[in-house]
Amino acid sequence: MSIWAALAGGFVGTLILTTGLRAANTFNLTRIDLPFLLGTAFTGDRTRAKAIGYSAHFINGLIFALLYYAVFAAIDYSSWWLGTVFGLVHGLFAATALVNILLPLVHPRMGTSQTSAPDVALLEPPGFLMLNYGRGTPTVTLAAHLAYGTIVGGFLTWPS
Amino acid sequence: MSDSAVAAPVRTDGYAALRDYAVIGDGRSVALIACDGAVDWLSWPDLDSPTLFAAVLDQARGGRFTLRPEVPYTAARRYLPGTNVLETTFTTAGGTVRVTDALTLSDTASLTPGRELVRRIEGLAGSVPMGWSVQPRFAYGARAPHLARRAGVPVATCGAEAVAICAWHAGQPQYTADSVTGHFRTESGTRALIALPYAYQEPLVLPPRAECEARLDHTAATWRQWSDDRTYTGPWREAVLRSALALKLLVFAPSGAVAAAATCSLPEELGGERNWDYRFSWIRDSAFTLDAFLKLGCAPEATSYLWWLMHASQLTHPRLHVLYRLSGGTRAPERTLPLSGYRGSSPVRVGNAAAGQLQLDTYGELLQTAWLYTTAGHRLDADVARRLAEIADFICTTWRQPDAGIWEVRSAPEHFTQSKMMCWIALDRALDLAGRQLIPARHAARWHEERQAVADFVETRCFSERMNSHTRSAGSDDVDASLLLGLLHGYRPSDDRRMSGTVSAVQETLRAGPYVNRYLGPDGLSGSEGAFLACSFWLAEALARCGRTEEAVSLMDQLVALGNDVGLYSEEIDPASGAFLGNLPQGLTHLALISAACAIGEATR
Repeated sequence: MSIWAALAGGFVGTLILTTGLRAANTFNLTRIDLPFLLGTAFTGDRTRAKAIGYSAHFINGLIFALLYYAVFAAIDYSSWWLGTVFGLVHGLFAATALVNILLPLVHPRMGTSQTSAPDVALLEPPGFLMLNYGRGTPTVTLAAHLAYGTIVGGFLTWPS
Repeated sequence: MSDSAVAAPVRTDGYAALRDYAVIGDGRSVALIACDGAVDWLSWPDLDSPTLFAAVLDQARGGRFTLRPEVPYTAARRYLPGTNVLETTFTTAGGTVRVTDALTLSDTASLTPGRELVRRIEGLAGSVPMGWSVQPRFAYGARAPHLARRAGVPVATCGAEAVAICAWHAGQPQYTADSVTGHFRTESGTRALIALPYAYQEPLVLPPRAECEARLDHTAATWRQWSDDRTYTGPWREAVLRSALALKLLVFAPSGAVAAAATCSLPEELGGERNWDYRFSWIRDSAFTLDAFLKLGCAPEATSYLWWLMHASQLTHPRLHVLYRLSGGTRAPERTLPLSGYRGSSPVRVGNAAAGQLQLDTYGELLQTAWLYTTAGHRLDADVARRLAEIADFICTTWRQPDAGIWEVRSAPEHFTQSKMMCWIALDRALDLAGRQLIPARHAARWHEERQAVADFVETRCFSERMNSHTRSAGSDDVDASLLLGLLHGYRPSDDRRMSGTVSAVQETLRAGPYVNRYLGPDGLSGSEGAFLACSFWLAEALARCGRTEEAVSLMDQLVALGNDVGLYSEEIDPASGAFLGNLPQGLTHLALISAACAIGEATR
């Protein structure tokens, strides 16, 4: 278990998470696009937003992997299945608080339930469990985060 | 609109005439207020939420908030200039009182309630006895409220919803079994205030009076500023600006979606079954909506709307639903409410079964919308560009199918001419966008080929030499007002012989005075309907584009006079009585007014 393993796991996990969400997007299971949501916090240019968003999303993925590493180190135990459990908590947090409540508060282009005339949002708010982005969104998001957690946990366990 | 006095409002079986309603809103929700001061419709927290007040659909069970003199009176009302703040002046034998109503806008200067209705009552002259009553009925009247006092303030709760009734100098609130009432007397110079702060899934904010007063003033000032920023300088400016303000009330600020109307199930025929829920965003209206935003200088609304359109349609890509929820969802299951309906017009429906229909014109509307957006100098990102190209591909495989048409008929699908014209427009706009390298051009040759095939179909099977007009559908002998959209959206140029023949045929067949019917043929529903106001404005615009400017101006003058005392329009009008029919305020009607005024302004320049 090392920081480098955490960073490697975070990178691969985020890659899989992002690819999974993108695939679900392509198959019309959800409209969620985390890099896009993150990037539009910095720019209104949609193309540039995606580039910025992917970078921000990967940095977030690395930061979360370091958090996993810190907790594993604190309890002096690591395993892929504990990573899965962390992924579950991580996914639930993302769906119920992070994207649903916290992101709209700091996102300059995202609406909230309090947005009123004459303002108008550029991005619709995610709603509870991000259901505004499609009924499959909670399932897809949770599955992607479970995969992320499992991968980070696996990297932090390897090679022991 | 100028102040216009009306006699003491008359209610029939407890229902005000639909023409008597004004609308206030905050970009999230909308209330209808009759000229007797009753709030007969209010859905909270959002425009498409179940209602707190729905007396317009069931005067006994729907719930309402009345506020009026307790002696005979006449009423005059107006919007404060450039705002969506309503002012009603009641004149009695003993004095005059003014009521100012608004759904207040968010304000960072104070802790703002989730939603808030504020009513300011000012004595202008003499002495007037006033009475008020708040009868909250949550969930379309289905759930009675629990009434209690919190910090001395009457509060009605139901599940996750709560509304407080804060009254200052408006008499001591009295409880009845299901309402809170009060009586007071205004004198010259006195000022009372009643506020209804509302909370959904959060604790209620009980605001002090000073903050309510300040928010009401802030709301008026904010609306005035928004109006001052509008760029329209053409003819019928007052009507266009009021239409813009009405349209702005239908913009759902949290997402950028634009609702077709603010209400549900107001009847297209008194006592009839044509009662629909319009609190969704229709792709059908998208091109007119974006065009109006651009012409009025509403760039943020235009961009937000296009972003929302592309997000909402992503789940169903490349297919388009006829309508989407304001939150971007696709589910709109239709159900019937146990309400008696406006003057007995039942069923009262929420949700809309048209959502699942195939409407080919929507594809043309979407491509036209994107095209208008780019011609105004905006860019499309790669994802949106790819999806638009895929939609054009989809049209190539779909346009030969019969559909429900723009009017969403519930009879068997047909090859509606307007649908085919819009398919042509979809492919034509895709070719133009591809030619400007704004969308991928890989399949441009196929789009070109299919565009010609659509044109051949329309010109051989959907045109009657005998009538010198396009027909409602392939092989039909009827005309349809939607054919005017072929001209308005650019299927053919205005000097095209067939197109001008179609305009004349619509005028001769469907027009009576300023009124234009949508069609005269069957649509799978019993009963009839009034004249469809948007079609009248489309005809005025079509006449202007065909160079018949004097006729266009004359018709437009008549149509502008058809609005109610505060300049609002519903979906339809009964030509015999002038009564409003259908949901209101109707976005499509106001959009058509804006578009026609702009086109006639250009033609007369």
